[in-house]
Amino acid sequence: MDSHVLETPKPPPDGSATYFDGMSNKRRAVTLRFADRLEINGDEGTLAAWAYADIRRADSPAGMLRLSCLTAPGLARLEVRDAALASELVSRCGGIDDDVPGRRGVAAIVGWSLAATVSIIAVVLFGLPLLADRLTPLVPEAFERRLGNVADSQIKTMFGAKVCDDEAGQKAFAKLVTAIRESAGLDTSVQSGVLSTPVPNAFALPGGKVYLFNGLLAKAENVDEIAGVLAHELGHLKHRDNMRGLIHNGGTSFLIGLLFGDITGSSVLIFGSRTLVTSSHSREAEQNADSFAIDVMHRLGRPAKPAGELLLRVTGKGDKGLSIISTHPLTEDRLAQMSREDRPASGPPLLTTDEWRALKSICSAKI
Amino acid sequence: MNEMSWPPQVPPPMPSPVPPPMPVAFSGKRSEFFHLVKRGAGLEFVTLGFYRFWLLTDIRRHLWANTLVDGDAAEYTGRGKELLIGFLVALAILVPIYLGYFLIGLEAERFQAFASIPLVAFFYLFGQFAIYRARRYRLTRTVWRGVRFWMRGSGWIYALRASLWGLLVVVTLGLALPWRTAALERYKMRHSFYGDLQGSFEGRGWEFFKRGWWLWLLTPIALYVSPLAPFVYGAFKAVEWRWWLSGIRFGGVRLESKLRRSELIGLYWKVIGWIVVLGLVFSVYLALSAALVASMSGEPFVEFFKSQEFMKSIPLLVLAGLGYLAFALAMNIVIRVYLMRDLWVRVLGSVNISGIEAAAEVSARGDLANALGEGFADGLDVGGF
Repeated sequence: MDSHVLETPKPPPDGSATYFDGMSNKRRAVTLRFADRLEINGDEGTLAAWAYADIRRADSPAGMLRLSCLTAPGLARLEVRDAALASELVSRCGGIDDDVPGRRGVAAIVGWSLAATVSIIAVVLFGLPLLADRLTPLVPEAFERRLGNVADSQIKTMFGAKVCDDEAGQKAFAKLVTAIRESAGLDTSVQSGVLSTPVPNAFALPGGKVYLFNGLLAKAENVDEIAGVLAHELGHLKHRDNMRGLIHNGGTSFLIGLLFGDITGSSVLIFGSRTLVTSSHSREAEQNADSFAIDVMHRLGRPAKPAGELLLRVTGKGDKGLSIISTHPLTEDRLAQMSREDRPASGPPLLTTDEWRALKSICSAKI
Repeated sequence: MNEMSWPPQVPPPMPSPVPPPMPVAFSGKRSEFFHLVKRGAGLEFVTLGFYRFWLLTDIRRHLWANTLVDGDAAEYTGRGKELLIGFLVALAILVPIYLGYFLIGLEAERFQAFASIPLVAFFYLFGQFAIYRARRYRLTRTVWRGVRFWMRGSGWIYALRASLWGLLVVVTLGLALPWRTAALERYKMRHSFYGDLQGSFEGRGWEFFKRGWWLWLLTPIALYVSPLAPFVYGAFKAVEWRWWLSGIRFGGVRLESKLRRSELIGLYWKVIGWIVVLGLVFSVYLALSAALVASMSGEPFVEFFKSQEFMKSIPLLVLAGLGYLAFALAMNIVIRVYLMRDLWVRVLGSVNISGIEAAAEVSARGDLANALGEGFADGLDVGGF
């Protein structure tokens, strides 16, 4: 091999490099010698000797090779700018890229992330409903009532609403609620009232509070319509759907939040996914409350269909109203269920004509 | 990732390169950073965000390794796994706190609706603590010439100071901001070290105020006339960077920045331009997927959008969710390229270092800090670089 031609432009094989010993930041010009270990030689002799197997690559700017050594001080660095010397070094150090998470490292991250995602989704879909069902009976009534009180004051602030207190109307409302409550088998802790707001809605709060909005009352044409709606809400109370929903929703938001982490504006995503997950759950709760309402109405000897007609009348106009505890995504399906199981009235009317008129004008004293 | 091909296909450099005239230089290629961020965004998409720990680490490694001070490049020695562990530990601590927060809030709300809002103040305090501890993590992972930076001091004392100063800023409608920043920087820098070289901060609140008071006057106008906002914000950031950098000292080493006010404004406008473009693309995508779902449901268009099932349509929600995710990731790429990399380069380009000889013989000191602070910062959404 004729090496004379090649030798002249190349620097000597024991080329120069820069060494930092990791104990002080002194910059040392060194020469390297490839012995059985890599010898780093300074002016005062050998500064360090690194075993080739222990040498690792460290981050460096383009055009420079920076090395560290497992057995040297953690921050000791050898910097080589000479490309020929660098490639010589790389070829001698077998483990140089062992710490670099290559394709396999990234695959492991992706794999574990997917496993975590699948496990979180499984918990959300199967674990949380089970947990909510089991935990709900364990939650003390007192705590639930406290929650209800919080929601109560927030709702009243949000809607700027007051409880209507027309005396004759109150009396009629109390009579109606008592009849339904007794038929539903709930005790006297149930509180109820009509709120003076034009939003057509009704809802149950945790801890046994049922509110009817005057907007819904105004749209009702007879007492059976209102009675069915109230029976539906009492169904939610009986099943403690609020508490279950709270545990389920809270857990879902938390876990999905965990999943998406800090991708900007992830709250939108969390909200969307939660809607997906909980809509199926709440639909089931609504159906149970509907069945419950139908049962109660039949026990009272009154038809169940009018409530469905009232709610269809409300939603059909496209005026869903705004409710922070949305309970009535009423569709034709639900009316169909109520019609299917409908029976003709066999009992006496729940309120007399006079009482019904008084109930309809319960809020007129205020508005 | 560290997939830099080695050796580079260039002839060996001259034996003794001329020392660069600028004491601080940046050698990273923009295309390389873009590739890194693009790949990271794709992996973030696949892992639903879990990859963020590694991506953030890679971004820092790239920025640090290409920053050359006095001809020698810095190095970032933190790793993604540390951030992940920090996040998990922070989560284990934050979950009971959130639960307690919920219960206390419940009690407060019983007396007065929305009375629980002051509890947010507690999270502000916690966020400041996280900022301090996260800075400590980043600093102890920063190495130059084989010696690391490090930091001591108490995160809670810092959080208390930051909160009290924050209160003063609110009371004075923002006028106290320069003095707050100066006081907090003094605390941070006093407790920062490079080896055995102690840091300090010489910036005065008054100087910051002198340079930026007219921006304070413009802010109310900018809030009404939104096209003005990027100018005001860009100018403010430039003033703040310049003042902050010029105040940094490590022993006898002094930093000086000549960042001009106009230099950052262009960056913000570019980001806004991209947001508009991406927002348009996202809207078109949403409209198309809504039309697709509507046509699949078989109902006439108008009927479909009138019915309330429209908002609950699962295919539409899934399509919208995926589109949103892609939109958010594209935004992340834009923000990382312009507001991390380009900002970094511009700010670095403005810096001059004098008295570097004072850092010639520095002994290594200080221990590594854990990534718990980074985890809190992630969990509370107060992260920095």
